Amino acid sequence: MRKFLIFLAVTVCLAPLSALAAGPTQGGTLIWGRGGDSVNLDLAQATDGESIKAGVQMLENLVIFEKDSMNVVPQLAESWTVSDDGLTWTFKLRKGVKFHDGEPFNAQAVYDSFARVIDPNHPFHQYGKWVYLSLSLGPVKEIKIVDDYTVALVTEKPYAPLLNNLALWLCPILSPRAMAEYKDQIGQHPVGTGPFKFSKWVKDDQIIMERNPDYWGDKAKVDQIILKSIPESSSRLMALQSGAVDIADDLDPDSIRLVEANDQLAVIKRPSVNVGYLAINTEKPWLKDARVRRAIAHAIDKETLIASIFQGLAVPAKNPFPPSIWSYNDAIQPYAYDPAKAKKLLEEAGFDFSRELELWAMPVSRAYMPEPVKTAELIQAYLAAAGVKSKIVRMDWGTYLKKTSNGEHDLCMLGWLGGNADPDNFLYGLLSADTAKTPGAANVALWKNAEFTKLCLQAQRTFDKAERTELYLKAQEIFHQEQPWVPLAHSTIVRCYNKRLHDVPLRPNGLNSFQMVWKDK
Amino acid sequence: MSRWEALHDLMSNWSAAAGMAIIAAILVVALAGPLLTPHDPLMPAPLQRLQGPSSAHPFGTDSLGRDILSRVIGGARISILIGVISVTISLLPGTLLGLLAGYFGRWIDSLIMRCMDMLLAFPAILLAIFITAVLEPNLTNTMIAVGIVYIPHYARIVRASVLSLKQQLFVQAVGHLGGGHVRILLRHVLPNCIPPIIVYATLGMGTAVLQAAALGFLGLGAQPPSPEWGAMLSEGRQYIQIAPHVAAFPGAAILLLVLGFNLFGDGLRDVLDPSLRSQ
Repeated sequence: MRKFLIFLAVTVCLAPLSALAAGPTQGGTLIWGRGGDSVNLDLAQATDGESIKAGVQMLENLVIFEKDSMNVVPQLAESWTVSDDGLTWTFKLRKGVKFHDGEPFNAQAVYDSFARVIDPNHPFHQYGKWVYLSLSLGPVKEIKIVDDYTVALVTEKPYAPLLNNLALWLCPILSPRAMAEYKDQIGQHPVGTGPFKFSKWVKDDQIIMERNPDYWGDKAKVDQIILKSIPESSSRLMALQSGAVDIADDLDPDSIRLVEANDQLAVIKRPSVNVGYLAINTEKPWLKDARVRRAIAHAIDKETLIASIFQGLAVPAKNPFPPSIWSYNDAIQPYAYDPAKAKKLLEEAGFDFSRELELWAMPVSRAYMPEPVKTAELIQAYLAAAGVKSKIVRMDWGTYLKKTSNGEHDLCMLGWLGGNADPDNFLYGLLSADTAKTPGAANVALWKNAEFTKLCLQAQRTFDKAERTELYLKAQEIFHQEQPWVPLAHSTIVRCYNKRLHDVPLRPNGLNSFQMVWKDK
Repeated sequence: MSRWEALHDLMSNWSAAAGMAIIAAILVVALAGPLLTPHDPLMPAPLQRLQGPSSAHPFGTDSLGRDILSRVIGGARISILIGVISVTISLLPGTLLGLLAGYFGRWIDSLIMRCMDMLLAFPAILLAIFITAVLEPNLTNTMIAVGIVYIPHYARIVRASVLSLKQQLFVQAVGHLGGGHVRILLRHVLPNCIPPIIVYATLGMGTAVLQAAALGFLGLGAQPPSPEWGAMLSEGRQYIQIAPHVAAFPGAAILLLVLGFNLFGDGLRDVLDPSLRSQ
């Protein structure tokens, strides 16, 4: 085993060297296997990971996170300034950029792309559903065209996370001509400025993108990307092993071990900015008592869950967001695994042990929850050890999301990929009283804590990072005491690919442009 | 043919005897279940997951470290139960409808048999998926779904028998002697329909087990953590490259039980069907 590990380490270290020797080549087709099809490639409307990772190849924002990190750097904007009152953000736009349909990129395009989301009177507003408005441009009240290449965004109140929001996939710039032409079908024919342009979409089978020869920056290395939908994890593994695909996404942890053992294949791992959690419906009378929720936290052995089902590809969670994001409260002592203590707490709270709790298991696997049903089975056994009976409930993904956002569950498993790496995204977005309104609550614990919400709102108005950190540290303490979720794990994201690919990137949010990836001839 | 003779014929029929032995063995395992299982079939031990067969776990462990032998034994009870209950669900209404349709003929026949044709028009598994999806996927509804799907089969078999029986002299005689419809149907017609029903029901148990396993495999049958064989097979498929035993043992169990019912049903048909006996 030891020898094998050394061998593995040496090959992994040498792989980039051999790549260096050959040098990047142009051409070829990158075949990318993944678990499901995209839904909507207009990223301002996209709500699922499969749409987003395809869309970011074709569409671009004003600003973007740096490759392999979460620092914000220019993309279609060359520079930006914030006014002294913190209300006006002015962006200088890049000149000479053209959309895939030949239209010029300018302030009008930025205006149309943003105004359609926030302004109900904009002609394109009716063509979409802007589900994540509050996470993207929600706080922006006005968009001003200063000149052809200068745009100013005005917010109602000072709103510190705006820049990170703009770097998210949620704020893409699309060709105004295409938006007018395709109307509500723009998500089926995205037209942006990115290094790849949309070519063809066969539903539930594949999406084809071609290299954009007129790209303003470094032009893409491969000629074509084909995204293939292969629903079964084991089939994706076999496709990767046989060379039928170059990249296989979302393999289960056991398959990743096989990829690591294969010297034709490579694996990159990176701590992600996600969280997988068990939300406890605080509106149900039998779960209202915080002692009951703390007891549930004590009943679950996160270490074993991660060692077994996650195969070690995660760290146990104690806060709503991962340690890689600033203001993580490391002083918090996690609830130790202790079934006896859990039982005692439940007895103190007068919990009715004859009640069977509904434990809702996600029907799809995600990086933050690679094996949802098995995780549910394990949690069920842990709850039983503390005397709590539970029944696993399963349904299709659309219904699951709808019903959990209506608060129909007792306990439900969900997760979040905090795309903009800002604590606000997790704390305000998923846990504040403002997002706990049914139907359509993002705060599926329906937890309405006035003090917690106040801290989040105050932090949004504060630009000083140290002050915001203080507020978020305090908010996490309240979360810990009240435990509306049992945070389970922050998973490691993994990219498995064939070694004939080079310069394969992986950001902590798992979303990358593949423009610099090249393939051996 | 006396009853004794029939039993003797059955035991001397190779296929029936083998089938009976397999079914009996599984039945014993199912009944004695909890006494035989070395471990709790539902108790996870996540740190011992996906272990190959060993003396502690003769069939190995699954992805949550549960003992597969214990789960296969626990699943035997579920599968036998599925076989018996879903066949009963299809047998009783199917026989009744077949009797009525065959005996009364005319519009009653047309009405009943056209309804049966409608059910038959759907592929069995598709109809079962439809029914479980509408009702809510769980074990009870799986049995109901599989039961409903096979009602037309029994109705058709019984109707065919009734059509020929009702032309026979002894049935006509009872009618002329003033016997009522109920008496004729229950005392004279039904008993003579029983042999083909028994054969079909035995074969049907195998089909029902297989259908329920298919539903379990698709996630529409028994829900986790229930050790239903189809669901276990489905789970094992994911580990086919690293731990093939997870899928192999429940798969073998399904194979064995279905084989048992089929062998027994075939043997039974050979013994009970006079036209085959004379050959």
